[in-house]
Amino acid sequence: MDTVTNVLLFVLLTPLVAATVILLCGRQRGNLAATVSVLAAALVALASLHLFFRTWSGEAESVSLQWLSLGELEIRLGFYLNGVSALMLFVVSFVGFWIHVFSLGYMKDDAAKARFFGGLSIFMFSMLGIVVAENLFMIFVFWELVGFSSYMLIGHYFQQEDARGAAKKAFIVNRVGDFGFLIGIILVFWTFGTTSLPQLAEAVAGNPSAVTTLMGLLLFCGVLGKSAQMPLHVWLPDAMAGPTPVSALIHAATMVAAGVFFLGRTVFLYTPEALEVIAWVGVVTAVSAAIWAFAQTDIKKILAYSTLSQLGFMVAAFGLGTLFGLSQDGEHALYYGVGAAMFHLTTHAFFKALLFLGSGSVIHACHHEQDIFKMGGLLRKMPITGITFAIGVIAIAGIPFVAAGFFSKDAILYVAYEQAQIPFVLLAATAVLTAAYMGRLFFIAFLGQPRSENAEHAHETPWVMWLPLVVLAVFSIGGGHLFFYPPTLQPTLAQIVPHPEGSLHNMLIIFSLIASLGGLLFALLFYGTGAKGDRLERSLRPVWLLSRSLFGFDALYSFYVKRIQQRLADIVAFVDTLFINGLAVRGTAGMAGLGGIVARSLQTGSLHGYVWWFFAGLILFWLYAVGAFLTF
Amino acid sequence: MNPSFQLAFLDPLSSTLRNIHEGAPSLNAGLLLASILVPLLAALVLMALSGRSPVLVRAVARIGFAIPALIALWLTASYLSLGLDGRYAFMLRQPLGLEFLGIEFFIGLNGISLPLFLMAGIVGLAAGIYAIQSGVEKLRFYLVLLLIMHGGLMGVFSSIDIFFFYFFHEFALIPTFILIAFWGRAGRKTVAIELTVYLTLGAMITLAGLLSLYFLSGAEAFNMIALRNAIMDSAWQGTVFGLLLVGFGILVSLFPFHSWAPRGYATAPAPAAMLHAGVLKKFGLYGLIQLAWPLLPTGAELWSPLLLWLAFGNIVLIGLVTMAQRDLKLMLGNASVMHMGYAFLGLYAYSVIGVGGAVLMLFAHGLSVALLFLLADSIEKRTGTADMDELGGLGKQAPVLMGFFVAAIMASIGLPGFANFWGELSIFVALFQSATPWAIAPAVLGIVISAIYGLRAVASIFFGDSGEAIEGGDLTRCEKVPAILLLASLLIVGFWPKTLSDSLDAAVQESFAVQAAHAERSEVRAVEALSQLRYDEESIVKTNF
Repeated sequence: MDTVTNVLLFVLLTPLVAATVILLCGRQRGNLAATVSVLAAALVALASLHLFFRTWSGEAESVSLQWLSLGELEIRLGFYLNGVSALMLFVVSFVGFWIHVFSLGYMKDDAAKARFFGGLSIFMFSMLGIVVAENLFMIFVFWELVGFSSYMLIGHYFQQEDARGAAKKAFIVNRVGDFGFLIGIILVFWTFGTTSLPQLAEAVAGNPSAVTTLMGLLLFCGVLGKSAQMPLHVWLPDAMAGPTPVSALIHAATMVAAGVFFLGRTVFLYTPEALEVIAWVGVVTAVSAAIWAFAQTDIKKILAYSTLSQLGFMVAAFGLGTLFGLSQDGEHALYYGVGAAMFHLTTHAFFKALLFLGSGSVIHACHHEQDIFKMGGLLRKMPITGITFAIGVIAIAGIPFVAAGFFSKDAILYVAYEQAQIPFVLLAATAVLTAAYMGRLFFIAFLGQPRSENAEHAHETPWVMWLPLVVLAVFSIGGGHLFFYPPTLQPTLAQIVPHPEGSLHNMLIIFSLIASLGGLLFALLFYGTGAKGDRLERSLRPVWLLSRSLFGFDALYSFYVKRIQQRLADIVAFVDTLFINGLAVRGTAGMAGLGGIVARSLQTGSLHGYVWWFFAGLILFWLYAVGAFLTF
Repeated sequence: MNPSFQLAFLDPLSSTLRNIHEGAPSLNAGLLLASILVPLLAALVLMALSGRSPVLVRAVARIGFAIPALIALWLTASYLSLGLDGRYAFMLRQPLGLEFLGIEFFIGLNGISLPLFLMAGIVGLAAGIYAIQSGVEKLRFYLVLLLIMHGGLMGVFSSIDIFFFYFFHEFALIPTFILIAFWGRAGRKTVAIELTVYLTLGAMITLAGLLSLYFLSGAEAFNMIALRNAIMDSAWQGTVFGLLLVGFGILVSLFPFHSWAPRGYATAPAPAAMLHAGVLKKFGLYGLIQLAWPLLPTGAELWSPLLLWLAFGNIVLIGLVTMAQRDLKLMLGNASVMHMGYAFLGLYAYSVIGVGGAVLMLFAHGLSVALLFLLADSIEKRTGTADMDELGGLGKQAPVLMGFFVAAIMASIGLPGFANFWGELSIFVALFQSATPWAIAPAVLGIVISAIYGLRAVASIFFGDSGEAIEGGDLTRCEKVPAILLLASLLIVGFWPKTLSDSLDAAVQESFAVQAAHAERSEVRAVEALSQLRYDEESIVKTNF
């Protein structure tokens, strides 16, 4: 058996085995569950390093075996490892491991620790399944499974009202996206006769006209749900009701990026028209979410809207970059969008995981206080968390040459600039906004004086929690450089990430410098350090209200669910019950009544009455028959 | 790279089973017969045990429920080991002196009936274990009726002879009425009468359809194999198909003939609901798959536009009705009606993928709906209510029950990893290739609808914080065992669908090959196809008592 296959099989099955062990014998033993789960994550991380340094040559490889066969439908189970999936595997296994370690500290005293770690292992299994999947049906299988593990982990604190609603919302909104996604996959299957990724690439190359815009847009529906793009973004901020490590792993670094990864896997299935739609969705999501972040006071909510915005960046990067690549020559031009998107996905995974874990460390130290206006002065109280958080802010703001985020954002702005003006302007504005809202968060929560009892008594968290912060901080700075990646991944990154040249290069650097430092400076000047209240709310109320409104999406959906969907269901159910009751009356009481009438009329002895009742009975019987017919 | 991780570790088992079958060729056919007779015998013994200790009653019932399940597992493993490619096997034939009517006792299994037979065995055992520990009044009679149902169910899916196919269905149906009328919850009398009237009507229309099928086709015998060989005059096909569609349709709660089902299941005692919703209901679709479509292609064509809309009625309208339910058991009853819509769509698409998907769907749905009724009953027993507005916060006090319930809901809304997913997926794929590809959109809408009501049920029963203590704590061992049995079966087929799908695929493909031969009116080819593929005449065990 081939060794790459073996390693991938090991990577995929280890978390599944861990989850099974926890389910079977760890339910009452939280510490055992935690050990098993973290051990599995460590083995996955080691195995994938082994893959990158020893086993894999860097060439694309695929293997599969039959899973289900009915007539012409053949669904296969298999692995397809290429540059894109290898990079994703690196991100998932590496970031995943450190978040597991962090969870050891964060979830130490949780009552349902075993359920939490079991859920993390199921998540790792499902996510790795998406990463290595060889075909679209298999991706769909694991796509649904990550949805389930996300549901399970958002609902971890199921006693709380917000978690109860959020878990349900996340699953259902994702199913709405999967509606189009599944139809899209089936359309691909019947168009090309296969859903195997390498075979599809060949089939498309042989017959490019078979790819339709509808196909791409249907597939993109899945991305809308999973990567929380507008208008299906509403579930992600609510998902913050889950434990913070879950927010870091699933709702920031990996699962929500699965949509972007999926686009990267299927880049050949999108027409220019579809790519244009994709790009616009990404751009609008990026800028809107950045605006929404300004009205949030919950530290995790700010990060959640920031994640939405950054995912919008990635999706826009895919759309614009691929359009740009289509107009260029060169072997790897088609993959420029993938390169830009995947590079940002990678750096984002490092710095957003860092920021979320940092917020987790803060929340842990402040006894579950999440309001930034009740924090303050945390940099002095928790120096490691504070400094690493500052590094995260620098990374996401994209300060030139220092931050990983600079390099990846640079590639995106470059393709946007080359491709279309309005998207470029909007993305550039988003970059300024990003620096500003992250600055707001940092200056208010970490500087100044503590503004609550909880913040007053905060102190640095144990090493299992700060060590992952330090590691991720190193990658948040270094992740922009090639030498931070395993050698087998470097060629992919070097080839497919687009780079600006010459004067454009200089211009973009100057712009990034202004945007990042300008945004941070604005935040410092406008909000000040350790502010007690939101100045935007007081002095620029219309702007604050606009940000607060979330553009009406949540209100609209809530109106739809309560007033339209539920009423429709109630009305249909009422009509249905009418029929049931109608039938019950006719079928039982009606029959009995008829019998009674006949019996009584027989007893009167009057022929006149007999005939009269006979006709009445006949009419009743006829009504019964007609009624029954109507019911049928 | 070459995949070599096949299920090699099962090889010794399959070679043993092969050797046993070759060594004693009539053993497996005898076991098939035993799977029907043992529960009936156990029922007889229980009848005779009046006044004896409850321990003995329980022991006899346990044997009566367990043996058919074990036989079903054994026969499934043997069937898969023998590499039969979906052909009929384990056949047993006993003349009854009714040959002039074309009737004889004739049983056997093929790739289509095997999954349903296995499902009947597993669900029967689960319902039995649950019933034995339920502690209802007059437990002995309760168990007698359930054992009779179980025997009938094993008979339905192993019958090749159509008279017995129908007979076993009635055999299992009558105890259902009695169980509802005596052991049901509030309003049981009305519901029992309604159900009886409705299902008897359905059964009679079905009988009319089956008889006309037999007489008009001029088949040599009244069994599934002989009927396949017959050719139906197209002039009559529309009428006969209509009879079968309405008759079988009533029995499977095809919209708008569904209204008996939700209230019937909500009122029935849990084991009866498990056996009826899980297994007996599948009789109708199984009949349509084995008889109506293959024999009456012209009729099917005529009726399928209507069927499409009726199936949408099941999925979309009843889906909405399900969303509006407050009572958990009524919700499950409606959900079960909704899911039958998928199976009908699989038949509507009428391809190997569609029919195969429909059978997988029936298999999976039987297990998952039985599991859900079992858990709903456990919830009701603990809290005294099934009203979801009153329930809440159960998760804290009964985490295991919550775990099972979430898993069961996930299975029923088609999460991958459970068998239901493969059925739904295949049906969607088949629909896209049907005459009306747009039909996939309302069908897939069902996955959103079912997620909404399923997760809402989980949230309102288990999530939240409730101070009220529940009676009886978490799931007991006797409740856990049947739940694990059902869940494990769903997971095994969910993880490795090839277990059942390969022989199913072969059987359905072969069925289409026969039909194609019919379509060309070349009887020679049809007969050839039969003799080559359907079964080996020599292998039939012929008894002559």
